[in-house]
Amino acid sequence: MGKKVKVAGVELKDKISSLIYYFPCRAQPKKKKKVDVKKEQAQKERMKKKLKKLEKAAPELIPIEDFITPLKYSESSRMRSLPALSPQESERRVLLLKKWCLFKQKQDEAEKKAIKGLVESQQEALRELRLESEELYQAAVRRDEGLFPFQRDGPTYTPPLPGYDPPEGKCIDITKVYTQ
Amino acid sequence: MFALLSFSGDALLGCHRSYRSRPTHGIGRFKYLLPKEVPKRKKEKVQMKEISEGTEYQYGDINIQMTSYDVCLVEHFAQYVHRLCNRLSIRVNESYAMPTKTNEVLFLEERGSKMQLDAVLTTHQRVVQIRGLSSTFAPILLEIIQSNQPEGVHLLMKQHTEADFKSRLKSRPELEELLAEMS
Repeated sequence: MGKKVKVAGVELKDKISSLIYYFPCRAQPKKKKKVDVKKEQAQKERMKKKLKKLEKAAPELIPIEDFITPLKYSESSRMRSLPALSPQESERRVLLLKKWCLFKQKQDEAEKKAIKGLVESQQEALRELRLESEELYQAAVRRDEGLFPFQRDGPTYTPPLPGYDPPEGKCIDITKVYTQ
Repeated sequence: MFALLSFSGDALLGCHRSYRSRPTHGIGRFKYLLPKEVPKRKKEKVQMKEISEGTEYQYGDINIQMTSYDVCLVEHFAQYVHRLCNRLSIRVNESYAMPTKTNEVLFLEERGSKMQLDAVLTTHQRVVQIRGLSSTFAPILLEIIQSNQPEGVHLLMKQHTEADFKSRLKSRPELEELLAEMS
């Protein structure tokens, strides 16, 4: 026997469950918006704290592999025994070293002299230019914006072979990536 | 009577702490006899130095970058350039090494589709940073460095930027992720 319910001037059907049709309600009460906002704020604060902590840590430089000796070279088991040098051999070596030192010294002095000569001739040219016209002198002394960046490949032992057909292949970068 | 005591005598006697005037004052002191301790130096934080722009007649911070597959050549060349700058009284800010890059070179076999490992090449880079190079001397310096450039060493001279400095630091993916999330 169903009850007859009159709600809002509308006669409902027999079953009570029909109430749900007119008043849709959830099984669980909806979470209040305030709790959501608080949770979001708490999350944001946690993230900000984490960010501050990470930012406090100073950035580190990537370690250079060149300067780290691999462990296998520090093993003392591999030792080379050099043969003993005869006095003539050691004498010859010392004299050769002295000749090389002299040669290098002459080379270095020639270089220094060349630099001095370059600078002096440049200064003289600028002085003459100044006497000629002040405008040109000022323009010449200004820095050249087009000079940098400057690139140059080093010289090679042999020139490239003409008509050389290189085999197909590829290069893979396997550098170790460091993260902090 | 106490007021009379405070006005007579010198400052020590006049001080209300009567023991500073006694002959036994400072009897327990010994720290002044010990050798001075050097304060512990805290780890210096890696910070970017100011990049100078230079004036109209001078260049600012310039990086001389030397790259090569051969470590010895590049090291010795970097040392040579540094000593040259010292000799020519050009201010050298820093002289450092960039991280080494390793490349695996594979080539395709003549008959077959398999890639074979040819070599593992390591690329080394050294940087000498100079400041205050005068505009008239720059071409001369370039000339000297070029004439002494060894085989296989690639030379690059460019202005120093923040990006160059950042490339030396370790990457921080967590920080970047958080920053991306925040914004």
